[in-house]
Amino acid sequence: MEHIIVIGGGGAGAALAHDLTLRGFEVSLFEKGDLLSGTTGRHHGLLHSGARYAVHDRAAAAECIEENLILRRIAPQALEQNDGLFVAISPDDEAYGKTLLEACRVSGIDAKRLSATQALKLEPALTPEVRVALQVPDATIDAWRLAMHFFATARQNGARLHPFCEVQWIDTRAGRVTGVEILNYKTRKTSIVKGDLVVNAAGAWAGRVAALAGINVPVQPGPGVLVAVEGRVTNMVINRMRPAGEGDIIVPQRGLSVLGTSLWLTDDPDDVTLPKKHITRIIDNCSLMVPAVGGAPVHSAWSAARPLIRDAEASSPQQISRTFECYDHKDTHGVEGIVSLLGGKATTVRAMAEKTADLICRKTGHKISCRTRTTPLLSWRRFYTVGAEDGPSRSLT
Amino acid sequence: MKKKIRLKIRRHRPESKTPPSFETFTLTIDADISILDALEMIQSAQEPTLMFRRSCHHSSCGTCGMLINGEERLACVTRISQFKGGSITLEPLPGFPLLGDLAVDMAPLYKDIDERWNYLRGAEDLGGKKLPEGIKRFERFENCIECGCCVSACPVAGEGKPFLGPAALAALNTELQKTTGKGARALLKQAGGERGERLCNRILACSRVCPTAVYPARHILDLRTRLRGDGQGT
Repeated sequence: MEHIIVIGGGGAGAALAHDLTLRGFEVSLFEKGDLLSGTTGRHHGLLHSGARYAVHDRAAAAECIEENLILRRIAPQALEQNDGLFVAISPDDEAYGKTLLEACRVSGIDAKRLSATQALKLEPALTPEVRVALQVPDATIDAWRLAMHFFATARQNGARLHPFCEVQWIDTRAGRVTGVEILNYKTRKTSIVKGDLVVNAAGAWAGRVAALAGINVPVQPGPGVLVAVEGRVTNMVINRMRPAGEGDIIVPQRGLSVLGTSLWLTDDPDDVTLPKKHITRIIDNCSLMVPAVGGAPVHSAWSAARPLIRDAEASSPQQISRTFECYDHKDTHGVEGIVSLLGGKATTVRAMAEKTADLICRKTGHKISCRTRTTPLLSWRRFYTVGAEDGPSRSLT
Repeated sequence: MKKKIRLKIRRHRPESKTPPSFETFTLTIDADISILDALEMIQSAQEPTLMFRRSCHHSSCGTCGMLINGEERLACVTRISQFKGGSITLEPLPGFPLLGDLAVDMAPLYKDIDERWNYLRGAEDLGGKKLPEGIKRFERFENCIECGCCVSACPVAGEGKPFLGPAALAALNTELQKTTGKGARALLKQAGGERGERLCNRILACSRVCPTAVYPARHILDLRTRLRGDGQGT
């Protein structure tokens, strides 16, 4: 079968390597850092029910609920499946709740209305000011382990995964993409890898990768701040019942509560700026929902660049759709042999991979259907034991 | 407040021919940032090919374990301000095959952690009076993030003895809490075997360096006590 080169070792690359190997393709994946060292590892750890997007971004909401139900089945060990609440603490919130409940119904998200008393019985750490709540099927993701499930399964099925290998050049000399030049950080050597098709799955870094082939893609890095505070104060994900904004969500995970988030736009995906005022605002806003997180020691704070798709018509960054898109650069730029996967979220990486692999099948003339919806993923631990019985020759590159 | 610091980083690529050496990077930074933040600054501004592992930035993934001034720690939750003086030394975790610079291959850690061992357990009681509709119990991930710090710090594992090691024994004991009957007997047999708890010398280095309060030495003691009680110990 054709040899597909995947650039980018984040969640999208992981799910794509899995889908492509299941369909029988030969896969080589290159990542300049360690696997999952970019946006994927740093995300909030929310398995979206879709409710956050139901009112203003119906496409993303529908994708989220569909994928949410699939991931619960294929990777249960990577999820704390405790559901989530949207909580109203002001009359405006309560009014938004009616719109939200209806929007959830339209998007097929199972949302249940709870009284304040009912909500406090589930989560006594909620503010006594809570007026009404909605129960939705949110969950907590172990961001690294979920993506490693995909990598483990891909590797078991023959994908060749190459961390610490940077793609420095995409060969378009033949009038189409024929391969890539790699700098292997481990050996400090460069080499050419030939392939039948290249997939740019570099997320927030996709603009830089596409530029190596002389292509301009509409990726818009959109970083946000996350703050982990000590103490697990709720078991359910707690969301503010109002339009998407800053500091409106608490995701419990292990013995921590992870608070988020903010959003700004930048041209530099490596920008690791951590605005202190965002941290303060996020903690202040989240403590309106759960007062205990306000006084908790800060365990860690960091930022992560979302791989947004540029949208000149969005009135604010929050309004940019969180859906995803595959671009065949034969159609967009007249360059055959390369496609880019842009946008998306950790919750929807499997669907992103399915759509991209469908496009690759069309381009290579194969009629092979996707099997990732029902194929249980292997444990992340398998990643480290694949081929171990073969002795020390086992190597990532 | 800005502070000038020097990070002395051990540089080595086993697959290239260059010998190991320490390279010093100088940064002017806020002292409340983490070692990982500082490494990312070096990578983006000074040395793009510096090799280190990182992912979650909040001690959940377990990828950024390294020796920081000689002690096993996670770079993401270790702040520069924790160290006096202007110089901090960073080295890869001993006991694991080196990929390059600060990055190691974690494969040996997983040799004795069975992939079927359940990573979820019942969550702590937070005082709730009811469970949400459709939820049978609140669940959460185990605390062990499989970072390898305990194995790296263990003097027995360090001597190259064929020891299951503190991470695997802690994971085994955790699984034992969720297991009964034949499965439990098999786990106890493994813990009491030649590579099992008997090799632990109670130095407690594992518990001292554990960044997520798993305290592997306590699990090993539990296993030892239980094995002796069951008449299966040595």
